[in-house]
Formats: sequence, structure tokens, C-alpha cells
Amino acid sequence: MAKWWISVVVASALVSGCSSVPRGSIPVQDSSGNLMADEQGAFAGRGGVAQPQQPQTQTQTQTQSLPEDSGVVVMVPGGVSSAPLETYPDGSSATPSIYPSAPLSTGPAPGVGGYQAPSAPSMPSGIPSGGSLAADEQLDGPVLALLTSAQQQQSGGDLDGASSSLERAQRIAPREPQVLYRLAEVRLAQGDAAQAEQLARRGLTYANGRPALQASLWDLIAQSRERQGDPAGAAQARERARVHL
Amino acid sequence: MTRSRTPRKGAKRRAGSRSWLSWLFKLSLVGLVLLAGFAVYLDAVVQEKFSGKRWTVPAKVYARPLELFVGQKLSKQDFLTELDALGYRREGAANGPGAAAVNGNLVDLHTRGFQFYEGNEPAQRVRVEFSGDYVAGLNQGSGAKLAVARMEPLLIGGLYPAHHEDRILIKLDQVPPYLVETLVAVEDREFFNHFGVSPKGIARAVWINATAGQLRQGGSTLTQQLVKNFYLTSERSLTRKLTEAMMAVLLELHYDKKEILEAYLNEVFLGQDGQRAVHGIGLASQYFFSQPLGELKLEQVALLVGMVKGPTYYNPRRNPERALERRNLVLDLLAQQGVVTVEEAEAAKKKPLGVTKRGSLADSSFPGFLDLVKRQLREDYREEDLTEEGLRIFTSFDPILQLKAESALSETFKRLSGRKGLDAVEAAMVVTNPETGEVQALVGSRQPRYAGFNRALDANRPIGSLIKPAVYLTALERPSQYTLTTRLEDTPFSVKGQDGQVWRPKNYDGKPHGSIYLYQGLAHSYNLSTAKLGLELGVPNVLKTLERLGVHREWPAYPSMLLGAGALSPMEVATMYQTLANGGFNTPLRGIRSVLAADGEPLKRYPFQIQQRFDPGAIYLVQNAMQKVMREGTGRSVYSQLPASLTLAGKTGTSNDSRDSWFAGFSQDLLAVVWMGRDDNGQTPLTGATGALQVWAGFMKKADPLPLDMPMPDNVAPAWVDAYSGQGSASGCPNAVEIPYIRGSEPPPGQPCGMLEAPTENVMDWVRGWLN
Repeated sequence: MAKWWISVVVASALVSGCSSVPRGSIPVQDSSGNLMADEQGAFAGRGGVAQPQQPQTQTQTQTQSLPEDSGVVVMVPGGVSSAPLETYPDGSSATPSIYPSAPLSTGPAPGVGGYQAPSAPSMPSGIPSGGSLAADEQLDGPVLALLTSAQQQQSGGDLDGASSSLERAQRIAPREPQVLYRLAEVRLAQGDAAQAEQLARRGLTYANGRPALQASLWDLIAQSRERQGDPAGAAQARERARVHL
Repeated sequence: MTRSRTPRKGAKRRAGSRSWLSWLFKLSLVGLVLLAGFAVYLDAVVQEKFSGKRWTVPAKVYARPLELFVGQKLSKQDFLTELDALGYRREGAANGPGAAAVNGNLVDLHTRGFQFYEGNEPAQRVRVEFSGDYVAGLNQGSGAKLAVARMEPLLIGGLYPAHHEDRILIKLDQVPPYLVETLVAVEDREFFNHFGVSPKGIARAVWINATAGQLRQGGSTLTQQLVKNFYLTSERSLTRKLTEAMMAVLLELHYDKKEILEAYLNEVFLGQDGQRAVHGIGLASQYFFSQPLGELKLEQVALLVGMVKGPTYYNPRRNPERALERRNLVLDLLAQQGVVTVEEAEAAKKKPLGVTKRGSLADSSFPGFLDLVKRQLREDYREEDLTEEGLRIFTSFDPILQLKAESALSETFKRLSGRKGLDAVEAAMVVTNPETGEVQALVGSRQPRYAGFNRALDANRPIGSLIKPAVYLTALERPSQYTLTTRLEDTPFSVKGQDGQVWRPKNYDGKPHGSIYLYQGLAHSYNLSTAKLGLELGVPNVLKTLERLGVHREWPAYPSMLLGAGALSPMEVATMYQTLANGGFNTPLRGIRSVLAADGEPLKRYPFQIQQRFDPGAIYLVQNAMQKVMREGTGRSVYSQLPASLTLAGKTGTSNDSRDSWFAGFSQDLLAVVWMGRDDNGQTPLTGATGALQVWAGFMKKADPLPLDMPMPDNVAPAWVDAYSGQGSASGCPNAVEIPYIRGSEPPPGQPCGMLEAPTENVMDWVRGWLN
């Protein structure tokens, strides 16, 4: 119950956080959320659990058009009750031990993405884990504050300090690809192109449905590969970046 | 000494021939010259040691700072535990650094501020509002919203040199009110007036000691005491006393009272903590009160100053009555001398001693984790840098998780206590954050406070079935050959190993299970099907997968390796499972975040580093099968302790004859490895499921982690298959289940069966029975 309430609070905090545009963080352009359409279509067939992406997208559009307005949007929290049950084996619970041919288990099967509404319950910090919002619009309080400090440290030439602030942000929001993107950028500035590429690749695994950010991450991978003396790999990455834009 | 006697003898012999006055004059001249020479020598000694670095300071090791932000998962209880460990005073209102006021769901506190690697965290008033197990509000004292704040980190130990002298250096402007006045009043009333020695003080000491009963006083000034501790041995002789007096005068010639006082406060010995000598009032304040010196109140100051006379005799932890009596005597003296009013002294006398239970920064508190930190540091620093330079080491240690790990362990032992042979069973545990690769807690022994054999790092034991995810991952990386629903034969076989022996694996229950789905081999930890699969894949390929997971061992490619004959430490297992938990990205496990020099200058960072070792799709499928371990396989008993909504992945491990009981598993934000077994490698009454898994589940219950939720990679798609045939089916068909596949490896879709007629009740009954 309490957790449910929290996610409401977090959701509203998120919404209000969205109305302020963060100062100079990520050079990712805001692109509309409609590229998500097919992604959501793909999810729609699976169990009909409310996907948090959808309310977020709506929220985002709303906030973008009315930057002053911060309406409260209730995200549907996931959890047991919302995990759909596909079916059950005919007969009874005795079946799993049938020999020689035991059937597949059919319980609340483990996380094939759509079984659970992912981000609302698992990211109580209000940082969506894989939402469809455009890049730098959705960060809230702590992460935004730390990315801002990192930006200041970096422009003051303190790359180690920036790195440290970004890792602090990463501990708070480990699945926020923008943090990984910024961390990769700083690593590249520090001359560690190999780590920059790895961090950007990690960022990509969390950037589904965020094409602008994906493009930026691929672009960063391209730069890192160039620095590592891999022009062919760089060209490939640039190709991927274009696809996502 | 011999030289100075010679002229004296000569003087006696020739006394008659010359005027004795002239001789005395010459004699004193020579004496003066010699004395001057000695003085010059002493002066050099005094200055040499007093200028420059006066003390070596051991490196200090800090826990992670607790971050505060809205939406953070943190229970009020855990927060208060942290505040207590940090020595926050509970007061009606948070007035001044180190104070906290609790009011229902609101905690007001005044943080102390701290210098971190990337900058300074200011001391500030913070209001934290809790709701359930979350932080629901975070404001500044002014009411303004605060995005994020950091508590100062808990000091968890140090790296002491051979002589075990420890101190926290302080400056005179950091001392609390009354400290200087009290010290002067008790130890050396004439301090600000004398020149190093005090004839008046000696006279008074003689008088007071003669009349007795009262506060006994030595005649030494603070300067003399400092000289004695700083330069001289504890030998008691007149020559030493004279040298001490001369040096005291010389010290006063060169340095002002302020400097001498500061040095005194840093040098003074105030207690012994095991092998460690507690020096200086700064460390004593932390050691006895868990508070920074500047926060001490009158009665605390009086206690510490009173202890100078006999740190062991007046030790407030061992001899509280004596210490209390001494403290109150000091308070009376302060009132007598007009430093405080009688009322103030009386009020202070009513206060309890207020010392914390044990030395809260005793380096014996978390020996397992500190051992890890020391090993990592010794790779990068020389021993003397660590023990002398006052480095500040920032780690990822989470005291809250550590305490939860320790209590899960002790509670499980208690619960299992009926089992025969349990007394000899030892245990170890490693807890990490799978997303950052940071070690958060480490238990090296069943008695976690006991420094000794660190099993988490040094116990190398056969890992048994913990190796199986590596076998299945090797298979699932070949989607054209293997999917989660590929059929495996779980039937007896034998194979001649490279070592010439015939190897006949057996299942734990001794029975073959026939034709099964691939994932079931992992979920139920079947040995026959797993070994067959591993042989199909090739033992060297499985070992290569292990290497990529982060295990660097040169194991021979024997078939028995497929069932975990190879031995690893719990820490190595954590590294291996870290890669599985972190989407196939390997991260070297780290316990240290950064190192600062004594003056706050950043020295070194241990940055987050990752390397992608596996296709996220293959990892997704392995995680899926490892979730089935928990839902329906050998790990399913966790859900008798944990809510069904908490998605977890893991694997049990039991070595031959139950010599080792292992469990390794993870949620989204927490990975833990537990080992139980005997140091003599004897049999235990435990399997992976009945031993280590119980500790693991108990820990997860306390830690309340986030459910595992790996985003589905692009190259994975779920498909409907028939639970019995494994053939493609469709949503809504009877017995249709959804299974993730690498795109292109799924069975061809089946015919739709119309709308699902939801037999909800039956399903719920069945699921309920199955979960319980």
C-alpha cells in the first residue's frame, strides 16, 4: 500500500520535474514520442498489462505543450496482482513431474518483459528505466542535480570530479542511459576510448524506445572507435546512429 | 657527565693556591658552556621534531556515505541505525551539527558536512520525511526542497603501523568550549603564565599532595608533559626530569602557547583499544562518544580531561564508577575556579557518562570487509603510505546491509541448530550491487566480528552446481542449436575422461528424468542432462565461458568440471554471477571508490569499469532460466519467505557428500553469494537449498530489494508455445505459455484457438498451491 502511494508521489514529482528544462546536459534533441508506436504495439499483445511507457508518453506530451502545468498522473504500479497468468496445465499441479515429458511451467513466469509493469515499482526514485520520453526531459531531482554538478566540474576541467559525480548519479539511477551516456563522454574526454565505448553500449541496453538517445550513444561509440583506431567499426556505428535518428 | 666531573675534582686539589671565587667563576663558565652545548643539542632535537610532520597518521577507512533523496528506498529504522552509528544526538530539535530530532515520520537533523573526493558536502539542516520504506520528502532547514544530500560516512577502521598508534589530528580552533579551560584548570593552572616550568605549580603540587585528599597534582606543566610524551622515554630519574625541564623551556622559547597546546591535545594518550593506542583528544572523542571533538558538551570534556591522569584506571567503559567520580571531581573544580557556574557544574554532573558501547571505530568491527580493502590498497600503495600519511579511503561498504547479512546468518544458524554436525559448519558471504560492481558487505566467518581466516576471500571450495549457468549460457549463445525449450535427455551415461577414469554422473535424487526442456535442466539442477549438454558443447568451451564471466582459473578440461568439481572462493563466485546479473557486462568487483590525501587533495579513484562479454539476448535467456530455479526449481523454497512479486534469479550448489552448501543469486539491485561448509572439508548436514539458500533468503527478506527486471533486448522476442509439446501455439490456446527466444529461434507459430476462456479460479488455486 505504502509503495503504491509512493509511486504516485514519485510520478507527480516526475511530472513536475519534467516541466523544467535542465541546463546544458545532453546534446540530444527532443524528438516526438511517436517512434514508440510500433514498440508499444509489440508489447500490446503480451498480456495486456498496463505499460508505464504509455502514461508517461502522454504525460510528456502534455507537459511539453503546457510547460507550466504539472498535472498528477497516476502510474499503475506493477506487482503480483498485475502479473497475468497465461494458462495452466490441464489437470492439476501434479503434471510438472510427469515423466518422461514434463511440460513447461506456466506459473507467473519469470520476467519476460511484459509480465510486469517494469518501471513504476522497480524505480522508486522516479527515474524511468526504459520509458519513451525524449532524452533529457525526464530526469528528476537527484540525478538532474548530479548531472548538473558533473557538467560544471567538466567545464571547469575537473574530469575526475565529473566522473565521480556521475558515478554517484549512476548509483542512484543505475539504469538511466543518460547517466551512462555522460559517463561515456567524460571517459572519452579522459582519453579512455575503450571504456567510453563500453559505457555507451551499456547505455544502449537501457535506451530502448528512446531513438534520439540511441542515436547519440551510437555516435559516441563511433567517436570512441575512431580513437581506438577502428575506422570501419566507427563507420558502422555511424550508420546505426543514422538509423535511429 | 664524566667530562663535567673532571674540572670539579681539579678545583678541589688547587683550592688553596688560588682564590676559590675565581675558580668557581671559571667552573661555572665551563659548566655553562657545557650546558649551553647540551642546550643547543636539545634545542636542535626540540625543533627538529616539532617543526614539520609531528605525527604519522594511519589511513582511515570510511563506509559509503548514505545518500538521501526523494523516492529513495530507505526505512526510517535503517536511517536511525545509521544516525546512531554516526553518533547523532537525539534532541528535541536539531540544533547544531550532529543533532537529530525524531517526530513521527519526520527526522530533522543537522549534518556535519564532509569533504568528499569531488567536493565538499556542507553541514546543513535537513528534514527527511518517511513514508513506508521510502523517503517521501527532503527539505533544507529553510523549507526549500533539496534534490540530494549526503550524510558523512561512517569511519569503519584504519590501517595501523606496527606500533598501533592511532590518532585524528585536530586544530585548536576545532575544540569545543571549556576544553582548554578545563585542561588548564586540572593539569596546569599557570600554563598561560609560565615559561615551560612552573615553580609556583611545583610548590602548589607539593602543598596539595601534602594535605592530600584533594585532586592530586603532579608538578609538571602541560609543556613538560608534552615533552615527556613527545621526546622522552617513560624512565623516571632526576636527569630525565632536568632534561625535560630544559626542553620545556626551549620549546616555549620557539613556539607559542597555542601551538604547544595544540600539540599536547594531539599527543595525549587516552586509552587502549586492543592493540591500538588511542592518542589525541580528537580520536578519543570519536572512540568514546562517536562524535567529532567540536560537538562535545561540558560533561564529556570533563570526562576526557579527567582521564588524562590515568587513561586505563579511569576508562569509562571498563571502570564507569571511577570515571564518573573523576568527571564530577573535575566539574567541581571548574566551578571552584569559576570556569563554570555551580549550577552548570551541577547540571553536568547529573548527565550520564554517555560513552558508546564499544569503540565504534574499532578496526575489529568489520574485519572481513577491511581485509578486502587492505588487500586492494596494498596493490597500489606502499605500507608506509597507508600507515603514516593519514590517507582517507572511501569505500562502498554499506553498514546497514552488512548488519542484515550478519543477522541473516546468525538467525539461520539458530534455526538449523538441531542438525547434527552444525557446530563445525563455517560460513561466508559476499554482497554486491550488480549494477555497479561494488562490494557492499562481506562476512568472512560465522563470527563476523572475529578477524581471522577470511573465507569470503580465501576459502576455495568446489562450487558444485553453481557452475551450471555457464553450461547453459554456452548453449544459449548458439540460438540455432539451443533454445530454452530444446529437448535434453536426462538419462544415465558414462564417459572416459582425459584423466583415464570413467565418469558416471548421477542426479542428486539418483533418478533419471528422461526427456526434459533445456531450462528444466538448470531449474532442477539435473546433473545427467547438464553433463550431456556440456559434453556436446565441449568442456573447453564451457571453461571459456567461465573465463568470460570473470573466473580466471586454469582448470583442466575434465568432464567433472561440468558439475562444479573446480574450486572457487565466494568472492570469485560473486564476480561470475555479477556478469550474469549485469546483462553480460563484466565488472571487476570493487570495494574502494576513492582515496584522498590527509589535506583533502584527491589522490586516486577506482572508477566504474565494464566490459561487454556476452550478447544481452543470451544473458536474458539464462536469467529467465535462473528465475525458474527460484519459481519452480531447487530454489523455490525462497518464496516461503519472500513475496511472489519479488522476481529473483539464482542457483543452488552442493558439492559431493554435502561438503559445501552454496547459493548465489540476485535481484535487480542486490547480488549475494553464500557459502557454508567445514574448514576441514568434512561433511555437513546441509545442501545448497537447506543451508546457504536459507541464509540468502533471510538476507533478501531483510534487505527488501527491487525485483529483477532486465529490459528485453532487441534480439529477443517472446513466443507462445504449447507447454507439453513445445510446439508453437498462440495466445489463448490451452496450455500455451510464453517463452522468450532469440529472434528466429522460436518455433513456428501455431493456429489461434479463439478467445481465452479465463478459468481464473482454477488458475489461482493451482498457483496458490504451487507457491506455498
